[in-house]
Amino acid sequence: MIYKLMNFQGQLACIGKFENGVQTMAIPINPDNTDYQAYLAWLEEGNTPEPADEQGAA
Amino acid sequence: MSSIVVSGDTSGAVTLSAPAVAGTVTVTLPSASGTMAVLPTATGVLAESAGGTGTTTGYYGFKNRIINGAMVIDQRNAGNTVNNTTAGLYTLDRWLIYGSVSAKFRVAQSGMPAVNSAGFSYCIQIYSLANTTVSASDIYVLSQYIEGYNIADMLWGTASAKSFTVSFWVYSTLTGTFGGYVKGGSTYTYPFTYTVSSANTWQQVSVTIPGQTAGTWNTTNGIGFTVGFSFGTGSTYTAAANSWTGGDYYGATGQTQFVSTSAATMYITGVQLEKGSTATAFDYRDYGREMIMCQRYYTQFGLEQASSSLSQLGVAYQATTAVFPYILPVKMRSQPTVSASTTELVEWQTLNTYTPTTYTLPTAQQATQSPLIAINISPSSMTAGRVYTLRATSTAGYIAFISEL
Repeated sequence: MIYKLMNFQGQLACIGKFENGVQTMAIPINPDNTDYQAYLAWLEEGNTPEPADEQGAA
Repeated sequence: MSSIVVSGDTSGAVTLSAPAVAGTVTVTLPSASGTMAVLPTATGVLAESAGGTGTTTGYYGFKNRIINGAMVIDQRNAGNTVNNTTAGLYTLDRWLIYGSVSAKFRVAQSGMPAVNSAGFSYCIQIYSLANTTVSASDIYVLSQYIEGYNIADMLWGTASAKSFTVSFWVYSTLTGTFGGYVKGGSTYTYPFTYTVSSANTWQQVSVTIPGQTAGTWNTTNGIGFTVGFSFGTGSTYTAAANSWTGGDYYGATGQTQFVSTSAATMYITGVQLEKGSTATAFDYRDYGREMIMCQRYYTQFGLEQASSSLSQLGVAYQATTAVFPYILPVKMRSQPTVSASTTELVEWQTLNTYTPTTYTLPTAQQATQSPLIAINISPSSMTAGRVYTLRATSTAGYIAFISEL
């Protein structure tokens, strides 16, 4: 499982969660969202998300 | 004050008594034959059999704070079985399972194994997959988080904290004294036990719990309260039953470990959490209302597979991205996560198909009731301004909006 930063119109829009190379979630950047809370906990463990694609909306 | 005593036909007597009053009061008897209604008891409780609520709370609306307590909604799995995982996993709507070791029990929405006198049609089946040894730190549970807004009137954490009652129906192939718990966050837990003495028989369980005057309880859109059933909890996470205990527990000391008996099967339904010290009749809500209540936390749209499907129309705003607006049936608890099955895009005019690579939630559109989803493809080949259909590549296609607690 990996997390990846997802851009839209050149700005960070959400967090993508991928398993075996397939996206399973698009997670909003919102502290009330429990999937985002899980992402923050994952960061606190010292992990780093994949960077956003440089072009386009992804 | 004077009284009239009417002797019973065969035994006993009925006394008609009048209270002390000022002046003269007239009470008119019914002019038709029949039986007079029973008045509230001295405690102010009018029995349900007499048309009352059966409690001192005196209200009907949203009596049951559990959602999908009758186990009628199963958007994710439509009755298919789900094994426990080591991460929390939602099964029937609002119901979460967890196990310290994967695949030690499974659950599924089920019809009734035997007729239930209360009239339920569905229940949740819990099935033990092995003779599992429960280690000290192991936890195997089914639970429901209750949103803070839905328990705010309980006044927990104040001197006016209200007592409440948890009730449910259980049918089990395995007899024993099983464990459960209610808790707020990880601060206070109230473990309880219930005994199944007759296998393969429906019985109703009721546990009344005093309001907790200590602690801080969420009363907005976070976790206000948790109700859980334990199928195996080790000594690290059990505590004495029937009292509030400071700390994070998931079962009661000495409880029967259900997962330790392979093929043991339990069915639970009619779960209710209500204010007051009496378990009253189940607050049976209509299917549509129960679905809406579930959709505040999880909404799933099926996607059609047919090439001419109108399951969802959107527009390409650039060559790599099409955007699809959604209107959700209810405002969700928070901005939802989106999860989608494998999909494809079909251009409405040409019927050309495109395979999505990723999907994104545009920041400005992360609404709780009308989110916008951006579907991305690669390489750049869509035509900006044209209409596209989002459809499934299998019959089980879906897009889900998730805002669970």
